[in-house]
Amino acid sequence: MKQTLLGAIALVCIAALAMLLAGASPIAGFSALFSGALGGVPQLGETLVQTTALLFPSLAVGFAFRAGLFNIGAEGQLIVGGFCAGLTGAYLGGAGAIAIPAILVAGAIGGGLWGAVAGVIRARFGGNEVIATLMLNILALLLTGYLVSGPLRATDVASAQTATIARGAWLPAILPDSRLTIAFPIALVLAFALRALFAQTVFGYELRAAGEAPEAARRAGIDLKTTALLAMTISGAIAGLGGAAIVDGLLHRFNTELSPGYGFVAIAVALVGNLDPLWIIAASFVFGILQSGALTMQAIAHVPKDVVTFVEGLAIVALAARRYFATRLATTRT
Amino acid sequence: VNALATLETLLVLTLVKAAPLVYAALGGVLCERSGVVNIALEGMLVVGAFAGALAAFFTGSALLGVVAGVLAAALLGAMLGIAATRFGVDQIVAGTGLNLLAVGGASFGLVVAFGQPGASPEVPALGQRGEIALIALAIVLAFALEWALRQTPWGLRVRACGENPAAVRSAGVDPQAVRLAAVIAGSAIAGLGGVYLSLGELNLYSDGMTAGRGFIALAAVIFGRWTPLGALGAALFFGAFSALEFVLQRAGIPSELMQALPYLAALVALSGFAGRVRAPAADGVPFV
Repeated sequence: MKQTLLGAIALVCIAALAMLLAGASPIAGFSALFSGALGGVPQLGETLVQTTALLFPSLAVGFAFRAGLFNIGAEGQLIVGGFCAGLTGAYLGGAGAIAIPAILVAGAIGGGLWGAVAGVIRARFGGNEVIATLMLNILALLLTGYLVSGPLRATDVASAQTATIARGAWLPAILPDSRLTIAFPIALVLAFALRALFAQTVFGYELRAAGEAPEAARRAGIDLKTTALLAMTISGAIAGLGGAAIVDGLLHRFNTELSPGYGFVAIAVALVGNLDPLWIIAASFVFGILQSGALTMQAIAHVPKDVVTFVEGLAIVALAARRYFATRLATTRT
Repeated sequence: VNALATLETLLVLTLVKAAPLVYAALGGVLCERSGVVNIALEGMLVVGAFAGALAAFFTGSALLGVVAGVLAAALLGAMLGIAATRFGVDQIVAGTGLNLLAVGGASFGLVVAFGQPGASPEVPALGQRGEIALIALAIVLAFALEWALRQTPWGLRVRACGENPAAVRSAGVDPQAVRLAAVIAGSAIAGLGGVYLSLGELNLYSDGMTAGRGFIALAAVIFGRWTPLGALGAALFFGAFSALEFVLQRAGIPSELMQALPYLAALVALSGFAGRVRAPAADGVPFV
């Protein structure tokens, strides 16, 4: 706890230093950041939009971590999920009661399948899931980029994207003057459900056992290959659902720019949240503040928004130092 | 004559496209053979390219740019190396963080140093001769590293650290020091790939100019089975496909499919379809 606090203070100091370097006063920078993120209902709404966008992939990363797997591929799973959602939405009508669940399920299936590819490489062929998910991230961008710029391109716009989803099938907004949709409560419910799954079900127990003591789990009769495959698939499905929420709630169509790296920041969020779904909600909110305040900071205090990416990167490096992961890696890698 | 000209273009383009991959992949091989997974190769290309352009702009000397680019990448490597050896961190997580840090830092640096986002102004570059020299150096370096890893005591130590660091310590050598040096050196080599992009092939830095080459290099490390010459071959192979992509795009073949090839190849190699691939036994495992 003390270390975490010291680390956080160090990061704030580094951010302040970066603001000075950019010729802005840190006080102005931080106040712009926070007023941009929390200064009113619309601002808070946008922060919760970013929180939601981070929460899905962060839960996904945390889920896989708990099962002893590194899902560095949440970004790709989110993209493929968003693509499947966009495609489904483009061809369904505006009857929300059918279309909205169909779009979300399509996203989960798309992301789940993309995650399953890495799961199969790990479970069936013994390949390293880290490298596999890294490669699949880029393949996701290339594949969906190819499909929306070629075969599946919408005819009504100049840029490469799918056709607009009918208005009736958009995720309903829940806050005036904001883009916040029911995706936010859905993500919250999902977090609680995942916590219950880990704490109270046999399957959750098996996943944790596979993650924490694979050898003991194997001797107890848990099939590590099956748990690995399932964990990657479910993790991918959660990230894919997040992609669907972005497509159906914010963009209302798919293009390859749906994520400014949510799947990577999610790694930091999951670690800050200590892999506990409920703490991950809190961590997503903190990172959501950074994401949504960054633009205001750039506009008002003239601090380039990339400072946020820089500091997030530093935070991830610092968090990697937790022993917890070091020892886990040593046991899962062999 | 026309076919010959095309072939010549293809060969030249292959070398041009392969050079940064060769540097990054050789850096990756050196890190991983010592037992530290380096998925921050992309970040090292970014800081190498950015620091190179930055120094060349402010000193007016492309050569000083090369030095700065290499040093910047080595610094990022030192962060990874110290984190991996001193703190026993999870190297995958740290590498992911370093990639974000590099990309964010370079974008931020562009605004701070040049007052404009997106790209730097034109900077003094190495010119065609310099570019050729860098390409030649990449190939020479691959052979030199292969020889050094196989034939020198230093190479033996590096390889031993990647396979069994406890044995290295029993032999009276500090595996952490060997690993740290290997990671810094490997990162510096990867930085040369970044320098090649901003001062060799072009004469400026722009956001996104590395375009995922660090990840292709990672694929080349695996495809080349963690050996320098193997990585060289894989990088040339991937470079040839980049070159073909250029030519075939005019014939209507979608470029995304060609770009996807290195990544698909890596997945196939990972799945063991191209024969057994085996990473160094202690690759990515902190030694405590």
